[in-house]
Amino acid sequence: MSRYQSRLEIGELNPPSRCLRCWRFTWKTITCIFSHIALITSVVAYCAAGAFTFEALEVENEKEIKRSIKGIRQNISNHLWRLVVESDVLDEKNFTQNASYLIQNFEGALIKAMTKEGWDGEEDENIVQWTRTGSLFYSIVVITTIGYGHLTPKTALGKVVTIFYAILGIPLMLICLSNIGDIMATSFRFLYWRVCCYVCTKPKKPRRSRSGRSSARSSERLSRSRNASFRRSVRTSTKSADSGFGYLTSHSDTDLRYHDYGNRRSLSRNRISQTSRYSDSFVKRGQSVPRTSGKTSSLDRKKFSNRHAAKDSENFELQAFDKTPILCNKYVIKEGELNGHSIPGITLREFERHLQLLSPENLDVTHDDIHQHKGDTRRKKSPARMNPSPKMMTPLGYGYKSKYLDDPDSDEEFYYDDVYYDVVKQRTRPVPIGLCVFLVMSYIVAGAFLFDYWEQWGVLNAAYFCFITLTTIGFGDLVPAKGVSQTTNETTTTVTVSIALCSLYLLFGISLLAMSFNLVQEEVITNVKSIAKHLELLRVMMKKNQIMNSHNI
Amino acid sequence: MERKRSVRRHRRGERSFAKRCKDYIRHFVAFLFSNLGIIGLVIGYTMGGALIFRSIEKDYHLQVKTDVVNAKMKTISEIWNFTIFMNPFLEEEYKDMLEDQLMNFQTSIVRSVRKGYDGSRLSYSEQWSIAGAFLYSLTLITTIGYGNITTHTMAGQIMTIFYAIIGMPLFLLYLSNIGDLLAKSFKWIYANICLCRWCPGVASRRAERKRRAEKIRYYSEEDPYFNERLRSEENEDQKNECSSNSTEESVEDSEESYDVESVTVPITVCLMIMVGYICFGGFLFCKWEDWRFLEAAYFCFISLSTIGFGDFVPGDKIIGHSDVDEVLVDEVFELRFVFCAVYLMLGMALIAMCFNLMQVSETLYTYFLCLSCNEARIYRLFFTTINILKIFQQ
Repeated sequence: MSRYQSRLEIGELNPPSRCLRCWRFTWKTITCIFSHIALITSVVAYCAAGAFTFEALEVENEKEIKRSIKGIRQNISNHLWRLVVESDVLDEKNFTQNASYLIQNFEGALIKAMTKEGWDGEEDENIVQWTRTGSLFYSIVVITTIGYGHLTPKTALGKVVTIFYAILGIPLMLICLSNIGDIMATSFRFLYWRVCCYVCTKPKKPRRSRSGRSSARSSERLSRSRNASFRRSVRTSTKSADSGFGYLTSHSDTDLRYHDYGNRRSLSRNRISQTSRYSDSFVKRGQSVPRTSGKTSSLDRKKFSNRHAAKDSENFELQAFDKTPILCNKYVIKEGELNGHSIPGITLREFERHLQLLSPENLDVTHDDIHQHKGDTRRKKSPARMNPSPKMMTPLGYGYKSKYLDDPDSDEEFYYDDVYYDVVKQRTRPVPIGLCVFLVMSYIVAGAFLFDYWEQWGVLNAAYFCFITLTTIGFGDLVPAKGVSQTTNETTTTVTVSIALCSLYLLFGISLLAMSFNLVQEEVITNVKSIAKHLELLRVMMKKNQIMNSHNI
Repeated sequence: MERKRSVRRHRRGERSFAKRCKDYIRHFVAFLFSNLGIIGLVIGYTMGGALIFRSIEKDYHLQVKTDVVNAKMKTISEIWNFTIFMNPFLEEEYKDMLEDQLMNFQTSIVRSVRKGYDGSRLSYSEQWSIAGAFLYSLTLITTIGYGNITTHTMAGQIMTIFYAIIGMPLFLLYLSNIGDLLAKSFKWIYANICLCRWCPGVASRRAERKRRAEKIRYYSEEDPYFNERLRSEENEDQKNECSSNSTEESVEDSEESYDVESVTVPITVCLMIMVGYICFGGFLFCKWEDWRFLEAAYFCFISLSTIGFGDFVPGDKIIGHSDVDEVLVDEVFELRFVFCAVYLMLGMALIAMCFNLMQVSETLYTYFLCLSCNEARIYRLFFTTINILKIFQQ
């Protein structure tokens, strides 16, 4: 809703009043909070429903099994008694043989009860595993796909219910976790860039000088873009190893672009003030940008330029539309081609919007450049910190090469100019991978010490447990509140507490993992694929070329 | 002078040799990461893991077994002693004693089952046989994690962590590669078989279009002018649509790419594939193991969704019947495990394929949803879901 408004607003280009902005901000916050809260509540309610259902379904069966253990033991002791009574002479060898046979049977029955029937080794009927908390834990374990297996449904109905429960619950949980991860990623990014970096770079100002350099670099690229794009396209066509950096497969690529698109849209709201500030000059600027891109791409890619030149060489708008980011998705291109531009209203509107989105960014770059040389207030610096493209910020020391430039998709879609890439890439300020890895590691280590304290497992065992849990492998050889009730005759409250703590730990940990995935996914995917591409591992490029060739025939 | 030259030549030869070596290595690695190679790589990695884990864990497992045997012996000897030295031979007292002893034995059994004792009486470690360790490695890197076989030594646990850290991305790569491949081939099959034959109206038009495209391709090789002639004919046919040469090219493009890329397989078909695969697995496993159909289907679902409770584990039947001949057990055991591993790997690739197929249609769908109602919220939700799904599932 709020995004819709922001988009409209950009379309209108009116400078919003402070009150309106404030109201909108609160509205956005409220909707955001409510949508997230609704999602989380639904997940919690789902878990609670699962808890009640599974408890009702399974608890009787478990009690039955517990009772049967006692029966088995009595049966064995009866057999032994009869063995002693009925034998005339007590011969040690004979007795041992018979007794070992009986005890073997007893052992087999016990093992069967433990591994197949879910007996936990406890005979007291009052201490059952399928309590309300236990069932809640079971539901969480199912829908997070951890699956410890210490509690499993034994009745046929329980199994069927589990299947359908998981089918519904897993996507729900994933959505919720990804949402939480999103929020956490955003806030963490904010925290990192606004607080940490500000604090740590304030005295020495290394970050600032770096960002200044990079912004200078990007502006340099801006000026170079016409030549550079041509050169790069030549490089892609020759398929040198160098061009392989930042290679992505088609669909992940699409997704990432989608992501950028979404981000851009979401962030566009922050840009309102700047848009309005530069509203008088951007139209001119914005027009110049796609036109240059159109020229460069017409130099590069004969086919497209031919087509569009033949179609309407005068009307640069449509051409520019084809070069504007709306076509970042290849499916969209296909649709556009299929329909033969049958949706001109949308395309024009989109085009306009993208012009508007493009231009203030360019201006930002240049303005910030100027301002930074002057060394001005913090307000001006904040967009400047966005300028470094993710490559510059990687601790792995990759170049500042923008990642999509040498995309093999560019055979078809090489009509973004460098400016657009800069703009898009500046939007997502990445957090270094090392920090995320460190965060997850420290979370595991902290979990290790916590579980060592709670469950007396030993640090290594607890760390192993945390790892197995957070990767959702879930062996189930170590499960909270299992050893507690065994060694000491604890009351059920401690069991409840430890299960609750564990589920909190794993829920937060999985969302933390989702967050760090969110933060580093682009970097990681790009790095991995670039390494793969460097080794000429991925064949998608060749396939693309084959398709292109078949098109050209 | 000559020596220098020779040295230089030698160096050049060396360099070229090094380069060739590098090339070979690169080609080899490229093969490993290609569609076929990745299967071999995953299997090789799993086999390597199996051997390592086996060597680490086998002794501990045997130790646990001997502990159980000792406990059993101790229990029997104590019962014997009590029987011998009990003076007034009363049933009550004797049964109390038996109860005590059996209770002790029971706790020791429970403890050793938690340590991985599986009740097999065989002299070798069945859990950590090659096949068992293979299944362990596979469940580790697929994050299924049955938990019927787990490491208990310190070295094993550390090894597990590092093995999983490397293995999981590898398996994800396998899934994405094979899933892509399967998705493409399935799309091709779907486009060529299902769409063309089952609905007559669409089929005839499609067949017509296809025939024309083939004609173009066929004649354009022989007759260079035919292409243009045909195009002019087509222009007359589709006057309202095509005004110039360039648009027609795009139409041709769309026809070309129709079969490969732009086919969207309906979600129901994907779901049907998944359900069908699970049912097929249920049928298969209820033949192999002693399970009922429902149990087998439940096992398949729990495995393929990577929940992996481990209450049903392949090879159960063999462990249960411990009187079977050892050699026979080993063989059958391994065969079952291998079939299960193949089923799992294929199934997960199939699910990745389904996600791949659904994703395409979903992105398209959500995109138009966005365009039509400007509702970015749903779109973003879908996007994040898909992304996370991709990360978790592929």
